[in-house]
Amino acid sequence: MKSLILVLILLTTLESQARPISYVGGHTLMLNIGGQPDNIYWHYTPNINYSIGLDYQQDKISNEYFPSARFTYLLNRKNTAASQRNLYIKTGVGLTNADNHFYALTGDWETRRLFAGFSAKQVSGIGYDLFEQSAKIGIAPYLGDYGDLHTWLMVETKKDDLEDKRTTYPVLRLFKSGAMVEVAYHRSTDWTLHLMYRF
Amino acid sequence: MKKILIATSFFLATAVAQAGHHEMDNMHSHEGHLHETMVDGEKIVVDPQRFDIFVTDLDNSQIALVSVQGMVCDFCARGIEKTFGKDKSVSKIDVDLASGKVLLAYPADVEIDLADIKKKILNNGLNATNIQILAN
Repeated sequence: MKSLILVLILLTTLESQARPISYVGGHTLMLNIGGQPDNIYWHYTPNINYSIGLDYQQDKISNEYFPSARFTYLLNRKNTAASQRNLYIKTGVGLTNADNHFYALTGDWETRRLFAGFSAKQVSGIGYDLFEQSAKIGIAPYLGDYGDLHTWLMVETKKDDLEDKRTTYPVLRLFKSGAMVEVAYHRSTDWTLHLMYRF
Repeated sequence: MKKILIATSFFLATAVAQAGHHEMDNMHSHEGHLHETMVDGEKIVVDPQRFDIFVTDLDNSQIALVSVQGMVCDFCARGIEKTFGKDKSVSKIDVDLASGKVLLAYPADVEIDLADIKKKILNNGLNATNIQILAN
């Protein structure tokens, strides 16, 4: 069981932070546990401007799992010597029922020390529509070299139509080479775990 | 929440330790080494200790020193390592996040394709702003 957990940790990461487009030819595997909806998501980057992927996720209302196809397009990127800024549009549609679909606008700005990101997402399920918005900021308490263990201390805030209230909570991100782990805690949702692996 | 505070304290302590380590690195002297070479009248700008370690086991090679914009995390570095790792003419790779430099070693008889280097960097979502070629 421990081996299985270790393999899962090594083979996965988080959607909202890990850049949704990898290097050309790169694959990314993500796992989200504990935060509704749970999901496992794989994407491939055939071109630096977009990625395609498959998602197996839990419906937010019925809690049933369904597969979907996803597409992410890079609208804008700005690189400087010390930073990178990205703006993406994302969409996905259920493979078994097209009533399950979403589209989203997400963005991030990152230096080696600071991070800021946001997401605005319109989600439709069977019999419901939902608008979700979130933002996250973070700081790296130290600067590591490539291959070192990187640590980010972050705060995320979320709001959606379903709960109609804002939740804000701390997030700890650990990052090493192609693997990333994020652990978040909020008293209403308890612990959530996000894992990602890029290969 | 208590666990998060404990974890945060641990990593802050790690940060202090790492900062001390890097200060020691900067105290090292490297006069007369290859990293002080001039290329086209321009002195190369690279972490001296890192550069010296990179060229230690390289003979009869040429080195491309690539300045990269947007390289801010390990995912960027890993992508570059993977991309150039597939290029059989590249014998050694070093990615320095701190300075935004990538070092690529090639055999001396290989003609380095600067446009191909720029394209590979771009395929990682980054921009190569300057490439200098050094003979070792």
